[in-house]
Amino acid sequence: MMDIPATSSTPRVRFIEEKSVLEFVGESYPENSFAFFAPVFEWLNVELPHKEGLRVEVNIAYMNSSSTKCMLDILDALTESAEEGRKISVTWFYEAGNDRALDLAEEFKEDISLPFEIVPRETGKR
Amino acid sequence: MQNLAALQRSFSEQGILMCFNGSFTHGIIEEIGTAIRRYLEGEKLTSGSITDVFAVYIEQTQNVKNYLERRRFAPEARNAAVIVIGNAGGMYQVCSGNTIAHSDIEELTSRLETVNSLDKTGLRKFYKERIREPHDPASPSAGLGLIDIARRASTKLEYSFQTIDEEYSFFSLSVSVAGEQR
Repeated sequence: MMDIPATSSTPRVRFIEEKSVLEFVGESYPENSFAFFAPVFEWLNVELPHKEGLRVEVNIAYMNSSSTKCMLDILDALTESAEEGRKISVTWFYEAGNDRALDLAEEFKEDISLPFEIVPRETGKR
Repeated sequence: MQNLAALQRSFSEQGILMCFNGSFTHGIIEEIGTAIRRYLEGEKLTSGSITDVFAVYIEQTQNVKNYLERRRFAPEARNAAVIVIGNAGGMYQVCSGNTIAHSDIEELTSRLETVNSLDKTGLRKFYKERIREPHDPASPSAGLGLIDIARRASTKLEYSFQTIDEEYSFFSLSVSVAGEQR
């Protein structure tokens, strides 16, 4: 069970057991990104070995540079886990029409070897 | 505050939209950031341009805050920080200023010169290399802020150091971001 509530500068992070979805929703520019994402790494170490697979859904409007580093580290850890046989995929939502948000999604897709889907969402909807 | 009219005129002449002078807390960074985003949405900028201006503001203010917290200067030096956002002919300027120890100037100058020497392709490559480097657990920073700022800027980063006394200088960083209209 993991459900970290969102604040104005941090996303909601939760694992939805019945759907096997690890979800990030909101904004991400924490005061200290490494401290903020530490519980997620903890969850990956402790809980992920008991899962057969999962889908990661990233729906973050803006991510600062240190959050970007943390997200890449999370996806790297999941890639290693997929290499051990788990079925892991990524769905990355970005605001339709926002070139910068699309660039970021595409850079992640280039650097991550997991199945990676980029999906536009309408402005203001999440 | 006797001469508010003169201050207002000076702000207008320089195209200053917003200025915060004092110690940056995370809460203040959030609040001002939210206000800037709302303002830019009202200015009919593309969502990509709003992201760029907002991102440059966040990286600059978080850099300043992280640096001043790490250095633990005496209160007067620690609280000397300023952020100014202006608009000159459709180009948004995000300018930050803070106290810096003389001993840190050389390293910072070299990092600024490195990003200024790279074009957009070079910056993208540098960012991708840097993001894979192991993180120092003692630091809240990933060392990517200046590269991210340079990637979003429309011109080279402009900066200066002004000597305050034998220990400190004042570091100013000015970043221009194109405000594309929707």
